[in-house]
Amino acid sequence: MTPSPDVAIVGLGLSEQGRHLGVSRRELRRRAVDAALADAGLERAAVDGVVMVGSEAVDLRYLGLAPGFAYSLQAGGASPVLAVMAAAGAIATGQAEAVVCLYGEAWTSAPRQLEPNSGPPVEMDIKSVSYGYPFLFGMVGPGSVYALAARRHMELYGTTSQDLGRVAVVERDYAVVRPGAQGYKQPITLDDHQNSRMIVDPLRLLDCSRPTDGGAAVIVTSLARAADLSGSAVRVLGAGTAHGIEGWWDGSMFESMNAARSARRAFGQAGVSASDIDVAQLYAPFTIAVLMQLEDYGFCGRGESGAFVADGQTRLGGTIPTNTGGGQLSGFYATGFTPLSEGILQVRGQAPSSQVPGAGTCLVSGSGGNGGVQGSWAHASLVLGATR
Amino acid sequence: MNDSVRPLPGDVVPDAIDQPFWDACARRQLLVYRCGRCGRCLWPAGSCPTDGMADMSWVPATGNARLHTWTVIHQQYSRSFTDTPVVVAVVELEEGTLIHTNIKDCAPADLRAGMPLRVGFDTTGPLALPVFAPAGGA
Repeated sequence: MTPSPDVAIVGLGLSEQGRHLGVSRRELRRRAVDAALADAGLERAAVDGVVMVGSEAVDLRYLGLAPGFAYSLQAGGASPVLAVMAAAGAIATGQAEAVVCLYGEAWTSAPRQLEPNSGPPVEMDIKSVSYGYPFLFGMVGPGSVYALAARRHMELYGTTSQDLGRVAVVERDYAVVRPGAQGYKQPITLDDHQNSRMIVDPLRLLDCSRPTDGGAAVIVTSLARAADLSGSAVRVLGAGTAHGIEGWWDGSMFESMNAARSARRAFGQAGVSASDIDVAQLYAPFTIAVLMQLEDYGFCGRGESGAFVADGQTRLGGTIPTNTGGGQLSGFYATGFTPLSEGILQVRGQAPSSQVPGAGTCLVSGSGGNGGVQGSWAHASLVLGATR
Repeated sequence: MNDSVRPLPGDVVPDAIDQPFWDACARRQLLVYRCGRCGRCLWPAGSCPTDGMADMSWVPATGNARLHTWTVIHQQYSRSFTDTPVVVAVVELEEGTLIHTNIKDCAPADLRAGMPLRVGFDTTGPLALPVFAPAGGA
């Protein structure tokens, strides 16, 4: 068995998450860090490492931190999980004892920048939003990539738009009872999904998440240090990675998120199999991502995810309750911090709604853009374990 | 379509290594970037995952392909794309590489994974774009 990360997450901080909050991203980050410190029962001066999700420099002065190191990490939605791994590495190599992993964005307050040939933003647009030559053919943004995967799934396995819609309904049902979620008290039906307009066929409006503003932070520390803190610690039992570029070379890119490879390492480190996982928080900005990952991680067989969801297996009481806070589709979009934060709450037994009784293990995934071709994304997995 | 705002290859990836490909498209010829050691073909230009860049060169492709997957873009993301919802596809060339393209001359409802396709060149814009249509006509 490969060595496990052997660290704990001792603090979780979430700012308000929502659209058009009118709060700057650095202030969202500050609120998240302060909330995480309070949650951990950790003094500000004890933070000796900072890993920020994104490509900006970290504003340590504004945050009032004096760490030994600080850097930014950009692998799209895989970044938060990778940040926890980086923190574990810094702790293992004796560079830090308490590392803050943070995020904060104000997407819905920022100007839209999708127009080509319209001035200075072009360079950034083309590379980060439309990813290169596919733009010449009209392909823009991540939705179309997931649409290609959804169509491939339909062609291979007979998956239908209704199968996708049931994922949206399940996540909305979780959000309806979660105060603060985008879908709070706003239920949807499968008919609502079917009647929502087509965005990138076969994905409809209700197959897609919406950007929200918000900040999030976690504090990673050694198990020994965690035992001395007042906060509720969560163990990182296993971690894994796999890049989707592998699928471009072998032709499987639109058939999976390559999470099976990531799962082998994460589950191996944790000494668990899929059937040992009590609850799953999957990075899924579009419905098809849930279906592909249920298969990749082995919660159901290849091509069986549609029926698996239809059978209620991702609901509370099912085989693997999934995205229990409403996920990114109906909860909030804080990149990979959406699944990570809900995973921490679940294994602490502190989910504000839809707590899985006795949740002792949680799978958290992240996936996102860094390199390769359009859609060949980084994937990363964590197995979280309760210390209660 | 408003050609004035449609991006050109140089806007997308400012990389001269692909220029022979676009020059060939203007002559209605499809090229792939082939590894002389193992025969793996790529588009766009890049390193062979086995042998690196040393023996890569542009060679003519047959222009035959099979449909891998596709999407119909209904959302208007950009002023650049104001025409009828476009079919963006990933096709597998006979030479083995996947490429992004458009599918022409076929109703979306008639598309099927694996269907044989033949290359053509869309010259309605400022650039000859390699696109695909059902082999042997729609």
